[in-house]
Amino acid sequence: MKQNQDEDNTVNDESRRNFFRGLTMLVGSTAATVLLTSNSISVAMAYSLQPTSLLNAPVFDGKVFSLLQLKKLQKICAIVIPQTDTLGAAEVNTHGFIDNQLFHCYENSEQEQMKALLTLIERVSNQQFSSSFTALNSKQQFDLLTDLDLGQNNFNAKQRTDFKVLKRLICFGYYTSEVGASKELRYLAVPGGYKGSIPYKKTDASWGSQGLFY
Amino acid sequence: MTENIYINKSEEVYDAIVIGSGISGGWAAKEFCERGLKTLMIERGRVVEHRKDYTGENKTPWEQPFRTKVDNLLVEQQYSIQKQCYAFTDATKHFFGNDRDLPYTTAKNTNFTWIRANQLGGKSLLWHRQSYRLGEFDFQANKSDGYGNDWPIRYKDIDKWYSHVETHAGISGALDNLENLPNGEFLPPFEMNSPEKSIKKKLAELYPQRPLVMGRTAHLTKPTEMHLSQGRVQCQTRNECQAGCSYGAYFSTQSSTLPAAAETNNLHIAPNSVVHSLIYDEVSNRIKGVRVIDNDDLSEREYFAKVVFVCASTISTTQILMNSISKKFPNGIANSSGVLGHYLMDHNYNANASGDIEGYEDEYEKGRRPTGMMMPNFYYKPDSKRNFLRGYALAGGAYREGWQSTQHQDGLGVDYKKKLKEAGKWRFGLYAQGEMLPRFENLMSLHPTLKDKWGIPQVEFDCRFSENETDMMIDAAEQAEKMLKAIGLQNVTSSVSHGTPGLAIHEVGTARMGIDPKTSILNAYNQSHDIPNLFVTDGSSFCSSAVQNPSLTIMALTVRAVDYCVKEMNAKRL
Repeated sequence: MKQNQDEDNTVNDESRRNFFRGLTMLVGSTAATVLLTSNSISVAMAYSLQPTSLLNAPVFDGKVFSLLQLKKLQKICAIVIPQTDTLGAAEVNTHGFIDNQLFHCYENSEQEQMKALLTLIERVSNQQFSSSFTALNSKQQFDLLTDLDLGQNNFNAKQRTDFKVLKRLICFGYYTSEVGASKELRYLAVPGGYKGSIPYKKTDASWGSQGLFY
Repeated sequence: MTENIYINKSEEVYDAIVIGSGISGGWAAKEFCERGLKTLMIERGRVVEHRKDYTGENKTPWEQPFRTKVDNLLVEQQYSIQKQCYAFTDATKHFFGNDRDLPYTTAKNTNFTWIRANQLGGKSLLWHRQSYRLGEFDFQANKSDGYGNDWPIRYKDIDKWYSHVETHAGISGALDNLENLPNGEFLPPFEMNSPEKSIKKKLAELYPQRPLVMGRTAHLTKPTEMHLSQGRVQCQTRNECQAGCSYGAYFSTQSSTLPAAAETNNLHIAPNSVVHSLIYDEVSNRIKGVRVIDNDDLSEREYFAKVVFVCASTISTTQILMNSISKKFPNGIANSSGVLGHYLMDHNYNANASGDIEGYEDEYEKGRRPTGMMMPNFYYKPDSKRNFLRGYALAGGAYREGWQSTQHQDGLGVDYKKKLKEAGKWRFGLYAQGEMLPRFENLMSLHPTLKDKWGIPQVEFDCRFSENETDMMIDAAEQAEKMLKAIGLQNVTSSVSHGTPGLAIHEVGTARMGIDPKTSILNAYNQSHDIPNLFVTDGSSFCSSAVQNPSLTIMALTVRAVDYCVKEMNAKRL
């Protein structure tokens, strides 16, 4: 996968989506998926599987989340797993992944649970800072999410549990992305045999490759 | 393999028909073909070509639309049962049956999970590849405590056939010299990691009667010339086996038995042929052939042979026998005893224990070992002091945690990301695999009215674990917890769960072997007591479940039965 940081691609992606939507209306989604064998186009129907810009700014409502919610989720992804010497969760479009994954692989109740969590974050942000979460400064955002993560101050244990669910989605999305699995962690597609003991030091990355079982 | 190996219509009277292409069917076909018999393998599903049709193989998670998960809608519509299998993922889903087309029912207050793999290769593509011989005590178990009927064979009767299949299939394992888990013809075992070596040693000191051994598995750790000549190479430890393996590094029909059978030019395959019933001739008291319904267009056709081996997998085999009705056999063919469908068994996985291992922070594993450690059943000798009969094995291993464990921790940001990047603590876990008693009241039958789309009566299950199995799991959890604490693991926990039968996918019984034709379907050579040219060699023929994974025994029983059958044919007794 290329780490394509060309700003123009956002536009391209939009046109791909429109192209796909038009095609879907013509021939139905199943047939359209079959027709669109080009990877870069076929994946655009769902969400931007490939990170198309450094910011991956959402431009549409998602399948589960509104545009505003997606922007909030993008910020949360950036705070939970930030960019370091590797890209972070927001940069690899984990928010887009979560929207898509929740829609396709989770129950309605779980989708609602995550929407309610975003609403909660917004409400507490407004109460505490009289400002939308996305408008807070980085420290305020980090502190608010830390309170939520620990179930303290404005948050209770149930809300803390909900946030752990979201964190798991963020982690799953990030560590199964190419960057997460193979740049942040180490990915061995074909290990070539099993060694029971190799040297390891604390700064070494763990294995991002897990066979079938993620 | 050539294209014309596949047939659709045929008037030919084959020497042998083999129904099914999975573990037992593949072996039956190979052994018949190699003995020069013209053989027709009938498979209800589509053709899966080695390599070419492993469409999920070697896909990174980010190349999969839902990162290894499967779309809800698809699951709901087609895989509502199959999804329960641990190996059901985006890369493997096409090797599982479509539940929409494969309905079955369960009796009130019971549950049975029936995992299906209806394609060429069957469940040999999806199996977990653990390969163990049954021991002498296993063959004597029913006789010892009176549950079930006595196996009509003993270990000495099957020993050389185990060797035969192990050599060809390629089984890795160590020569552990255990009384009731016999050695086999092994390729080298997989390595233990350092914590496992240490745990093995500590257990040997504290529990000398409970050895911990490397799991024996059908993987080529060191392929022989014969394996290489089949295009099979060394296991690369991807642990993506159920997606199909183009290296041919694990045993499957496609990698091992089918190429051997095809090489003889004696093999034909009728795919997409759902067996409806066996064609029985009352005058000669012989099976003449097989009536099939086309998988796709539902048309009917027939195939004919001198002998028929039913290797369709435990439940499907018995379904076929039950649906083969005649004046002489109104309750299912070869069922003069009336026990067909009874004594259904599975294994019970309802106990586990685990704990943290201190140390080894400067060590890690490399590669994804496709097997674990195994503590064979240490209760193989009957003992009236225990509050249950039979026993269990404990399987598991040591591993170092990764992000999937550390993600649950509190934290955000750079520190959290750093923590998730690092390998976590070492853990060691064991889960139980318990024997299930053969009980008359655990059964499958044909539903009186409901049929599937091929017009075949649906299967109804009435099967549950009894108190014996539950008590056994309580003991397994207690013993495992006790042992893990004794060897110094930290934070040891254990639990007993209440899963229902089926999901171990070790279903056996329902057309059992036995000495007495009044209480069994098959004789000591898996031959029908009632009809001489009918054989059943899959798991349905088992008299007890034992504790070991059944596949290796299914292979050995199959080749033994073919050997006997061909000798009988040559002697003109069939």
